[in-house]
Amino acid sequence: MSKVLEIKELKAKIGDKNILKGLNLALEEGKVHAIMGPNGAGKSTLSKAIVGHYNVEVTDGEIIYNGKNIVEEEPEERALDGIFLSFQNPVEVPGVNNAYFLRTAVNARRKHLGLPELNAAEFLREMKALVSELGMKPELINRSLNEGFSGGEKKRNEILQMMMLEPNVVILDEIDSGLDIDALRAVSEGINKMKDGKRSFLVITHYSRILDYIKPDYIHVLKDGQIVHTGGPELVEQLEEEGYSSFEEK
Amino acid sequence: MKLDILNALDSDSLLKELKSSSSKSVAASALAKLKVPNKKTEKYRYFDIEPLVTKDWQVADIAEAEPRSEGKKIVIQDGALVNSGDIEGLSVELAEFSDIDSEHFDGLYFLSHLMAKKAIVIRCSKDSSFEIEHIFSKEESLINYRVVILVDANTHVQAYESFSGDAKESFVLSGYDIFVSRDASLKFIKSHTLKQTQYTPIFTSRYKVDSNANLKLSSFDFSFANGLNIIRVELKESANIDASHLLYVSNSAKYGIVSEIVHEGKSSTSSQKAKSILDSGARGIFDALIRVQHSAKWTKAHQNSKAILLESGAYMASKPQLEIYIDDLEASHGSTTGQLDEQQLFYLRSRGIKESDARKMLILAFAHEIVATVDDEYLANKIYAEFERAYYGNYELDCIKTCDGCEELVLKDEQ
Repeated sequence: MSKVLEIKELKAKIGDKNILKGLNLALEEGKVHAIMGPNGAGKSTLSKAIVGHYNVEVTDGEIIYNGKNIVEEEPEERALDGIFLSFQNPVEVPGVNNAYFLRTAVNARRKHLGLPELNAAEFLREMKALVSELGMKPELINRSLNEGFSGGEKKRNEILQMMMLEPNVVILDEIDSGLDIDALRAVSEGINKMKDGKRSFLVITHYSRILDYIKPDYIHVLKDGQIVHTGGPELVEQLEEEGYSSFEEK
Repeated sequence: MKLDILNALDSDSLLKELKSSSSKSVAASALAKLKVPNKKTEKYRYFDIEPLVTKDWQVADIAEAEPRSEGKKIVIQDGALVNSGDIEGLSVELAEFSDIDSEHFDGLYFLSHLMAKKAIVIRCSKDSSFEIEHIFSKEESLINYRVVILVDANTHVQAYESFSGDAKESFVLSGYDIFVSRDASLKFIKSHTLKQTQYTPIFTSRYKVDSNANLKLSSFDFSFANGLNIIRVELKESANIDASHLLYVSNSAKYGIVSEIVHEGKSSTSSQKAKSILDSGARGIFDALIRVQHSAKWTKAHQNSKAILLESGAYMASKPQLEIYIDDLEASHGSTTGQLDEQQLFYLRSRGIKESDARKMLILAFAHEIVATVDDEYLANKIYAEFERAYYGNYELDCIKTCDGCEELVLKDEQ
């Protein structure tokens, strides 16, 4: 199975604090990888490093995507090439219309892929269908981006963006946090629908609950900035029973 | 004519020198006291007034030819009324006008009145909506004129002010005296793009809002050259003003608002919001005072200024002030100056929107709150387009942002 994204000996810090300490990870094409770990292990830092967040400084190592090291690339270049992060706490952007923003993003990606841009009518038709599928309130598409959205609405909006942008690698950072059971089901269904045997997923989570809905192919345990163990779905049970302490740091 | 030499004259000499009628003695006395401003004048300290008052100006003659009367637009060219429009409920005429605001804080307000032999007086006696276009074409001149708007009692009016013309190196000294009578309302919308090579405007105005009347003032100034809006507002009992100002200044220009809102009557309310976007060494000015007098019990007064500096050389001179002489009121003021939100910028970029586009999107979003105060959709779109043209250098207004025509199309398709 080919590797879509490969992280080699990645070291990264936020401010003066070293968070990732030589992390190695490879995402296989079409597979769902879950990363689990205790608070402060570096899960969110890893996701931010992959998408080029301004707070995270990569000090060493490589992130190889489509055969090239993307560490120096701008966030928009990574996004246009097909890397998508669903944020744990999506920021509110008052005054930027949700639909206008998403159409700009979708057309930027389509242009990058050499596809014709969607006109307003085509875009709205496609968007409305997905909004209905995700059980979102239709009025949210004409509101300011994430402004005044509940936690669940923000997460559904992230999934809507993912579905419209059709990325190659999807990183879901704590997608289950703050979701009630109905929202979790709707969001998970949206994600599962995006599985096509080619697209890869990196599910970052504290809790195993989300993995009942999005079945992982691999589980990676992240502790103190490193992947300390990799296994199959059966690892979830072991983690639930024994916690993270049974996995020693390297 | 050099304006600063007037500072040596007493009120009688001012009337004589400026060939003003004796009915303007109040203006002459006030100017003799306040003086033509210079760089030390408090209200002009953030602005370059000196070159305007020391230059020897050719004062533009104002023709008094019979104006046309067609269309819904009143047109004023270089201070002369060239089209009075054909608007139901409106009368437009040239007339001597002496009911000036003797308490105004600005010397140029009085000078402008003394220099203007007649004012363009617009009386609104029925509900109406109209446009006033100001055209400036005379170069290297001092163009001075006054406009008066009288909104009769229980009348509801919308006035939209637009600007055109390239009067290079001229000084435009103008402004309004606006009277909103009791139980009436006026929505006054000003949209002005000032290019680098154009004239320097100082608009010095007075608004008197009578009992139970309402004034909604929305100003949009997109400027690449120096200019100043000077406003004094008087609020009578239960009168209200909602003032919103959007300012985009670039090209090292100094532009802004100096205002004074005076609560005279009890239960009067005021809200003043300014948003400034400052680029390329520009200086934005928001020097705004709200005064609540002893007579203005149960007043509500709120004032806020927010500015975004797009580069390190830009500067915001923000001075919101409250001057309160009573206890029983609700009042607030605040001011923030900062840069674009890094988190928001990153979020947009993480979806594939390039940085320059993401920045523009956030700037438009910042402006949105003020544009949204214009409830006339046509005008709001026009203002968005003007802002985009000023900011982007061209404009491409995306209909999805402002209308739901496409949604209707989709719904039709689905049926």
